[in-house]
Amino acid sequence: MSVAVMKTKAETSLDEDFQKLRDRLPGGSGVLAVRNAAHQLFAERGLPHRRIEEWKYTDLRNAMKEALPVSIGDETPVTIADLIVALGPFAHVDAQRVVFVNGNFRKELSSVDAQSGVSVESLADKLEASGDADSGLLGEFGEGAPDDDVIVALNTAYSTDGTVVQVEPGAKIEKPLLLVYMRAGREAAFTAVRNVIEVGAGAEAQIIEAFVSLPGAADAGQANAVTRISVADGAKVAHAKCAADHGGQVTHLGNWAVHLGKEAQYDGFQLTQGVSLARHQIFVTFGGENARLDLSGIFLGRNNDHIDTTLVVDHAVPSCESRELFKGVLDDRARGIFQGKIIVKQIAQKTDGKQMSQALLLSPDAEFDSKPELEIFADDVACGHGATCMELDHDLMFYCRSRGIPEDVARVLLIESFIGEAIEKIEDEAVREAFTASAVSWLAAKK
Amino acid sequence: MLEIKNLHARIVEEDKPILKGIDLVVPTGEVHAIMGPNGSGKSTLAYILAGRDDYEVTEGDILWNGESIVEMEPDERAAAGVFLAFQYPMEIPGVAGLTFLRTAVNAVRKKRDQDELTTPEFMKLVKQKAGELNIDIEMLKRPVNVGFSGGEKKRSEILQMSMLEPMLCVLDETDSGLDIDALKVVSDGVNALRSPERSMLVITHYQRLLNHIVPDKVHVLAHGKIQRSGGKELALELEKSGYAEFSEKAA
Repeated sequence: MSVAVMKTKAETSLDEDFQKLRDRLPGGSGVLAVRNAAHQLFAERGLPHRRIEEWKYTDLRNAMKEALPVSIGDETPVTIADLIVALGPFAHVDAQRVVFVNGNFRKELSSVDAQSGVSVESLADKLEASGDADSGLLGEFGEGAPDDDVIVALNTAYSTDGTVVQVEPGAKIEKPLLLVYMRAGREAAFTAVRNVIEVGAGAEAQIIEAFVSLPGAADAGQANAVTRISVADGAKVAHAKCAADHGGQVTHLGNWAVHLGKEAQYDGFQLTQGVSLARHQIFVTFGGENARLDLSGIFLGRNNDHIDTTLVVDHAVPSCESRELFKGVLDDRARGIFQGKIIVKQIAQKTDGKQMSQALLLSPDAEFDSKPELEIFADDVACGHGATCMELDHDLMFYCRSRGIPEDVARVLLIESFIGEAIEKIEDEAVREAFTASAVSWLAAKK
Repeated sequence: MLEIKNLHARIVEEDKPILKGIDLVVPTGEVHAIMGPNGSGKSTLAYILAGRDDYEVTEGDILWNGESIVEMEPDERAAAGVFLAFQYPMEIPGVAGLTFLRTAVNAVRKKRDQDELTTPEFMKLVKQKAGELNIDIEMLKRPVNVGFSGGEKKRSEILQMSMLEPMLCVLDETDSGLDIDALKVVSDGVNALRSPERSMLVITHYQRLLNHIVPDKVHVLAHGKIQRSGGKELALELEKSGYAEFSEKAA
């Protein structure tokens, strides 16, 4: 039995925007067919709500009451100096930059080195140039990842742009690739971007996604970002994302689909701060034996921030290793959610999987919900999970203060100590320092 | 000069009196030892001097250079020159020893109206002081006390003490968990800080530490009160007779 549910204001306006804008979105008729199908899925299901098990703690339908106008063909003037300001500590990372403003690629702000074996292109350019040959860039979320996720469908329908990266087998991206998605200008907008990253066998890449905003940008913003990344046999990828905004009513809906080949190594990291509503979904599928996954992240919330990280790690083959470590710092009435599902298929013997989520609550009104889910069908595995929730250590606080460190400084120091274990997972020193500096600036911004 | 007057204190949560009228004066430039059986209130006294808020002073006062410090926050006391070397120094994962030291030193200097140390000035000072305590500078690049042996932790405490240049050093069972060699290094570090301007209160259960850090006076604390005071020979006497005399007194 299907029950007709009243569309919310957000659902109605997203629907209307699609009818209005679909002919202006990049891609030929084949791409449009993919977008139409995705939009149809969204129109039928609407935004996910709390009666859907995976969305129990994040009632998006209720939390995202209104949708902002969809951004398309944005031309907000932005200078290199603006870019540096918006990037904050990430400006110090010696990286190749691919820059988007309100979901639109900006060649003049970007700096990509020509390197043999590596191609970096704008998704919009690629869709426009190839007609329908590349409709799969939008049509497939990722091997092993769900093909009917509504948030991903919304992204498929609306994506205006994004980055397509191809690293040929054996090649190595020399400098980190920094994909910058910036909010700028007074117009509050909904943006949808899509990245497709393919790293060939034995290749190496370091990719950072930075979702930032220019000071003076509209107080509100909604971003829907999808990254599909495939790491072929023996390839090594470090992939990090920073969703750091300046407060206001900022929503971030993020999706990563990661597919790992044999003996691949993938280190993923996510930092969320200054975002009022975030839902990060990460789907990882092991497609070949002896691959290694290291996922970690930090979520920082205050006021009424709501930050949800939902992982699904699928051990579909034997002898792979997965590690997850997520740490949250929650103040005021902020709420953090961690859902970590580890699936170990029957054939996936010798799986080694460990998961940990920890939150530091700085206020009696802050809340952390952690839901580890282990679905183990193999019998020869080593899997474990843990979750903790704590306050700042009273004894450590006294120790710091007895050394003359004032309370506010000691708090920041101890919070840094708490999140440090996750940040230390980032191997590249310059990148690690940028993430640390970003988190510290949030800690120090407490009024 | 430290003056403790009729000090009564209790554990806040348990409403249990621990100190029941301590009177003690440590003149500037002197080193006094406090000895006593387990559970006598020695560590409580150390914590109260440093300002730990798990304890509440219910009566009496603590004067440091003539001013009451009872209402002062722990960091204000540190700036005023009070330093407590912990019996169990704490580990702070994720914070490098050097960062911690520099944050502490500059916080204290700022409150004392001294210029903050620049990085080269700080590094020069820390290298010199660490060298005197046989501490490898590489150890200080690691998180504070994480993975340190008992001896390393105590040396790290004395390094902090030396860097913060306190005028009142309170050493809480600094000898616990130290082997003979480590005891010698730590004691030498403490002795190097002895000066006519600096007072020290050395809390210990055993006499052995006082062979290395020779006190001007020894006090016996039991049942929350100073039961007896004397010269350094009192420590030797206690080593022979034990604390039985003081537990009988209570009974």
